[in-house]
Amino acid sequence: MMNASDNKFSQERIERSRCEELAKSSSFYRKVYSEIEEIGWEPLRRLGGDLTFFSFHILDKKGRAHILEIQLNRDYPNSPPSLSADVPYMFTLEWSINSRLKDVMHQFQKHLDNLQEFWSVLDDIDKSFSVVDAKQPSRASSLRRIHAGNDCIIIVHINFNDPKSLPECRFIGHVPPSTMHMNSLHMLWRRNSKKWSKEKSFPENLECILGIELPKPPGLLQMEDDQQQVECGICYAQFLPTDEELGARSGTRTDYTCENISCNKSFHSLCLTDWLRSITTTRQSFDVLFGNCPYCSDPVAVKINNK
Amino acid sequence: MTSSPSPSRKALSKIACNRLQKELSEWQVNPPTGFKHKVTDNLQKWIIEVTGAPGTLYANETYNLQVEFPQHYPMESPQVIFVPPAPLHPHIYSNGHICLDILYDSWSPAMTVSSVCISILSMLSSSPEKQRPTDNDRYVKNCKNGRSPKETRWWFHDDKV
Repeated sequence: MMNASDNKFSQERIERSRCEELAKSSSFYRKVYSEIEEIGWEPLRRLGGDLTFFSFHILDKKGRAHILEIQLNRDYPNSPPSLSADVPYMFTLEWSINSRLKDVMHQFQKHLDNLQEFWSVLDDIDKSFSVVDAKQPSRASSLRRIHAGNDCIIIVHINFNDPKSLPECRFIGHVPPSTMHMNSLHMLWRRNSKKWSKEKSFPENLECILGIELPKPPGLLQMEDDQQQVECGICYAQFLPTDEELGARSGTRTDYTCENISCNKSFHSLCLTDWLRSITTTRQSFDVLFGNCPYCSDPVAVKINNK
Repeated sequence: MTSSPSPSRKALSKIACNRLQKELSEWQVNPPTGFKHKVTDNLQKWIIEVTGAPGTLYANETYNLQVEFPQHYPMESPQVIFVPPAPLHPHIYSNGHICLDILYDSWSPAMTVSSVCISILSMLSSSPEKQRPTDNDRYVKNCKNGRSPKETRWWFHDDKV
């Protein structure tokens, strides 16, 4: 059991060490604080309570967003900060006792600049082909798994030091029809890889060597589909005009498609209701108009939007 | 009688204007055979020259169609008449009015000036004889003051011609 004087003694000790800690810390805090201020608070994304951990949001030349995480030791700046970021490899930080956080930022920015071509090649792949797990590929990854049709996958490895050079390439297929497809692709690759040219884009090179058109990303198909489909079958425009009469519906896209799949015409529901209201065969039930598609005459039902 | 002016003709809505510009540029790229759009700066009133199809009663004859668009085209049909002299045809009145269902009750915004023109030419081509409708004189007399054919209550009873 502790008596009162023991208690008092230990409390004093704690107080004293806290004061020492604070004195030490306060100069550490002041230094870190002023160094962050040099960079600016705007790019700061996360900040640990004890100022030993924080992260910055940085845009590279092509506007790609990167997060640089910085961990400081208590003896900072005697020991350099440790860094992590979504890059395929980390640069060697040049550090001296006089270095500051803004020097870290400069060096990181330069590192990003060096990687621009590498990421452009990868972006080009993601944009042109159907890539496995394409949703959020890490900027650190130099691998891409590309769907090659028939359940076959091409794994490419981009060299970050020379991103436009011939990549390492592996072909994967598991079951008989895909293994055959895979073997023929592999053969074409080996036979034609001399044709790889740094002048051409990665997708062009790959399709040229394999002599086939590879599946496109689902997003792109959707977009092409949109571009063909979005014109309204009545007003012939993709977007409604901006007009006082139309109010909130100014500039909206087509939002109704005939359910008859062989017709599949798109309309602005505004155009379709305007048309249905102008003919006598249309019936209304509550706020839904029942009539016929002007193209295929199949039944259509459109909700009246009174906004 | 000349063309029928629509006394209450209102300027085209933005939607109508957009759609007509697209129809016109499509026409310029891909005009229907036998038709020539006479260039004017009036988007709301087109004059189209039609030449009778070879091998028909109207071969080598040319006529002028006048197509006028309502404010809310294509929710409403365009007004289409022949500029007199109109071809002699059992469904075409001497004042240029045309008895053709798609111009009135059967209009749909899925149709275009081009598809209407093709229907009119096909109507001409399938005519067995050059004659006016039997009620021509009565009808034309009732249409005084340049009434629009769209105000007529049409009976479409003959789908052979």
